[in-house]
Amino acid sequence: MSIRIGRWLREPLLQFLLIGLALFVVYDLRNQQAAPRERSDRIELTADDLLQVGFAWVAQGRPAPSPDEMRILADARVREEILYREALALGLDKDDVIVRHRLAQKMEFLFEDVAKLREPTTDELKTWFDRNAQRFALPERVTFRHLYFSPDRRGDRTREDAARAFTQISGTSMDSPDALALGDPFMFQDYYGDRAPDDVAKTFGPGFAQAVFEMPPGRWAGPVESGYGSHLVWVDSVTPARVPSFEEVESEVKTAWIEEQRAEIREKTFDVMRARYVVALPADLPSIEVPTMADLASQ
Amino acid sequence: MRMNLRTTIPRAMATLLIALPVLAAPNPERDVYFGETHVHTSWSLDAFAIGNVLTTPGDAYKYFKGEPIKHPLGYDVRIDTPLDWAGVTDHSEYAGVVNLANEPGSAVSKLSVAQPLILKARTKEEMERVALYAINTLASGPPVPALMAPEIAGTVWKRNVALADQANQPGKFTAFCSYEWTSMPNNMNLHRNIFFKDCAKVPPMPFSALDSKHPVDLWDWMDGQRKAGNDLLAISHNANLSDGRMFPTEVDTKGRPIDAAYAASRLRNEPLIEIKQLKGTSETHPVLSPTDEFANFEIMSVLLGNPPGRIPHIVGSYARQALKDGVALQDSKGFNPYKFGFGAASDSHNTAVPYRQDNFFGGHSFTDGTIEARMSGTLVGGMFDARLEGTSGLTGVWAEENTRASLFEGMSRKETFAVSGPHIKVRFFGGWEYGPDAVTQGDWVKTGYAKGVAMGGDLPPAAGKAPTFMVWAVKDPTSGNLDRIQIVKGWTKSGQSFEKIYEVVWAGDRKPDKWTGAVPPIGSTVDVENATYTNTIGAVELKTVWTDPEFDPSLHAFYYARVIEIPTPRWTTIQAKQLGIAPPDVVSATIQERAWTSPIWYTPSAEDRKNAPRGTTVAELTTQGGKALNDAQLKALIEEKSVWMQNTVTGEKYMIIYGALGKGPGVKPLTPSDPGYVTQRFPTNQGQFQVRYVGRGVAMQSLTGDAAEGSYLGTSRTYNIANGKIVTELVGTPIEIAVYKLGDQYIAARGNEFGYANYEMVPAVAELSPLGAAPR
Repeated sequence: MSIRIGRWLREPLLQFLLIGLALFVVYDLRNQQAAPRERSDRIELTADDLLQVGFAWVAQGRPAPSPDEMRILADARVREEILYREALALGLDKDDVIVRHRLAQKMEFLFEDVAKLREPTTDELKTWFDRNAQRFALPERVTFRHLYFSPDRRGDRTREDAARAFTQISGTSMDSPDALALGDPFMFQDYYGDRAPDDVAKTFGPGFAQAVFEMPPGRWAGPVESGYGSHLVWVDSVTPARVPSFEEVESEVKTAWIEEQRAEIREKTFDVMRARYVVALPADLPSIEVPTMADLASQ
Repeated sequence: MRMNLRTTIPRAMATLLIALPVLAAPNPERDVYFGETHVHTSWSLDAFAIGNVLTTPGDAYKYFKGEPIKHPLGYDVRIDTPLDWAGVTDHSEYAGVVNLANEPGSAVSKLSVAQPLILKARTKEEMERVALYAINTLASGPPVPALMAPEIAGTVWKRNVALADQANQPGKFTAFCSYEWTSMPNNMNLHRNIFFKDCAKVPPMPFSALDSKHPVDLWDWMDGQRKAGNDLLAISHNANLSDGRMFPTEVDTKGRPIDAAYAASRLRNEPLIEIKQLKGTSETHPVLSPTDEFANFEIMSVLLGNPPGRIPHIVGSYARQALKDGVALQDSKGFNPYKFGFGAASDSHNTAVPYRQDNFFGGHSFTDGTIEARMSGTLVGGMFDARLEGTSGLTGVWAEENTRASLFEGMSRKETFAVSGPHIKVRFFGGWEYGPDAVTQGDWVKTGYAKGVAMGGDLPPAAGKAPTFMVWAVKDPTSGNLDRIQIVKGWTKSGQSFEKIYEVVWAGDRKPDKWTGAVPPIGSTVDVENATYTNTIGAVELKTVWTDPEFDPSLHAFYYARVIEIPTPRWTTIQAKQLGIAPPDVVSATIQERAWTSPIWYTPSAEDRKNAPRGTTVAELTTQGGKALNDAQLKALIEEKSVWMQNTVTGEKYMIIYGALGKGPGVKPLTPSDPGYVTQRFPTNQGQFQVRYVGRGVAMQSLTGDAAEGSYLGTSRTYNIANGKIVTELVGTPIEIAVYKLGDQYIAARGNEFGYANYEMVPAVAELSPLGAAPR
């Protein structure tokens, strides 16, 4: 029995849940100690309480409050406490969308704090990376030169000119001066080294990017249209998409691992909580018709 | 942008380049990086309240990098062109909820939990009840004590910082630590987005509008941060929704005078303003720029919360007028609070942002998240017709590399431009030595920096000739071609300010008008019925060198470039086609997307300024024995008179007809054939005036409205006489005119001309434009 419990205790998820539970208990106890919530006409602020108010002030990058400012802060704190208690007495905290959202959000943050408690070992990350390597795949990359045919200079003849130029240069090399002389000056670069599809699309438009990655390397091709006009393209080389080695992406792997832990803990913990509840929803849930904003406005 | 620089790279080098993103060497000639400075996620209370309940800043960064994310209504949305950088700007406080709850028809008002915030009656008790609730649960701080401890109130902010750090990939994508300071006293939008240079030193909690609603207090806090080594800057937005309070010229929100200290504080902290976003453009307005044929662009004139009975002020709400007031203040008082550069952004509350006319999904969750909600003219937040929303803009920053430090420096020196959505690229340099063909040289960018200044800068001291500007723009490869580039000039003389739009380069072989320089419209390829266009007109690239043909070295001035695309279908036209309905009649069917560069300023040398003729100030007039007229004297001088005035700054003469003022009850009724039969029914002391004989080519001083059109059409505006002033107005902003008698001369001073008395009453003119006189 004790062996079994011991093994259970070594389960990371269970460890997290236990630590989380402990945290909840601590928070709970601390809040109970800090603020007895029964209705009382007495408001007592300790030096520690006021120190905390002072910290909030300093936390915004201001110098420490002067005695006068401290008095104003204390008055504001008292005022808030009074309004807060009156609001609680009126039940204004009940079912308030902001309060609900904020408290639910705090629970989520708490889960995440728990997730951060553990540093993964390199071995653990490596194993995880092996299973998830595709997520880190690097896109294919292209290196190319292009000749530009400008509609600003050539108007309706642009594509035709590019097609004619292609027949003239199809046998020449990438750096042939004869070939280079046929195009128009381009606004940006004539030669692009090692670009991912996104980079090419950002500069030339998505259609051009797709076409360039489909071209055979080592010869002139085209004409192909970009958002700027016609181009003849020499693809120099294409580096295929590849999965990097663990060492290349270790820090990204760690970030992703933590992110996944967060999500897992959030979901598992929620499942545990969810199991404690009996949830009743209307049987005809799918058929509930929500009026549109226009309907509401017309009522 | 490198121009044909890398003509040959040894092939071997290409293979040596490793495939992982690496920080390329900084480019001293700078590249342009497009980014977002204004977006909300579920962590903004208002975004949450309208149904954006799931997505976080982490999702926003994913979206900007090109991954699809969920719209709050559950469908996938994807950016067309991924961005180079962004800062998520969730609200740092809970402001605005009370206003929204009290708007009939607004989303918040329908929530049961918001009911305590809704006034059941306009009684004092009821208002106190709502105030108590609002102050307690919303406005005075985090609503429950558990949230008050800094380590908890700061969690959202801390998470925001952590997500920015996580998304930040130097050289590939920059994520800034940023937030929105959401001050809106009396529904006046004074919001600022705050950007930190570095996330390492951000304070545990940001300074929110709960701490102070006054911009000067925000700037004080920012000064303190900077002193502590934490550099940061503010970007104001939606001046157009500020009710005229974004660019004050008299007093700040605390009622203190706009002075040198105010100007210095503002300049130190607010290098940029956001001039275009979902809720309209803040560049200028046709009322302020009647001669600018492109001024009528995505205008939205509302107040947040749509308070009943309030007409938003136009004056004080637009950037160009602020730039003009800025140089006028510099000249007349020695300080300029309005020396800012331009950016544009979104303000989407969806986490995802629509930038394109053909991919527009609204910015406010379910209120405008379906085509039906948008096209049925839903009043978003009870405030504005969803069809008036525009696409989001972007900010282009010229920087050495895509890193926080480099981009932040670019923003600080205002080397930025705004685009209305498409990634139009634009360069703008000013100097004294650029040759006429400088921009066609291969190394023109190098020359631009070496022999002058880039956008956002100050021209070096004058060199005895007119300044020359190099301007260059390239279209977005996925958007419309370019129609033209214009240079907008503003200048000041004797407290008056002026503007003029120069056409400097345009597509095709259009001939500018010989006399006015106006370039004919490019035409349109838009098929409204099918919501399509073609790029068969317009240019891919436009560039030129332009010299100011009317330069006066003695006058303060600024210049900025505006790049205009050819007409393309507006999103409303595209979505009307999808629904098979007519394009909405509340907006234009087509749009000309555009880019605006930050200005370049010219400051005359002390010597140039000294030698220039200067008008008379009210103070000088009084010293010389000028006496201000009282109400009775003013009435005797102008009421039921047609007076001729001369603007002594421009030399222009024109006539003003001041009609009869209402006399109130007890006056003998007039017969129908009496001239005052109709106007006698005006309220006491109110009348109409009309300006006559103003031509279209006249450079009109600021805040005169469209005088040429009023003169031609015979329209009039209201005036009255009170407290020794003739009081007129421009969309609700009073303009007061005092008249002084000096000897037998009458000299007038308009209240918006910074202490100058620039108008003289002159004898009637018989011939308006004598032949053979010098052209004006």
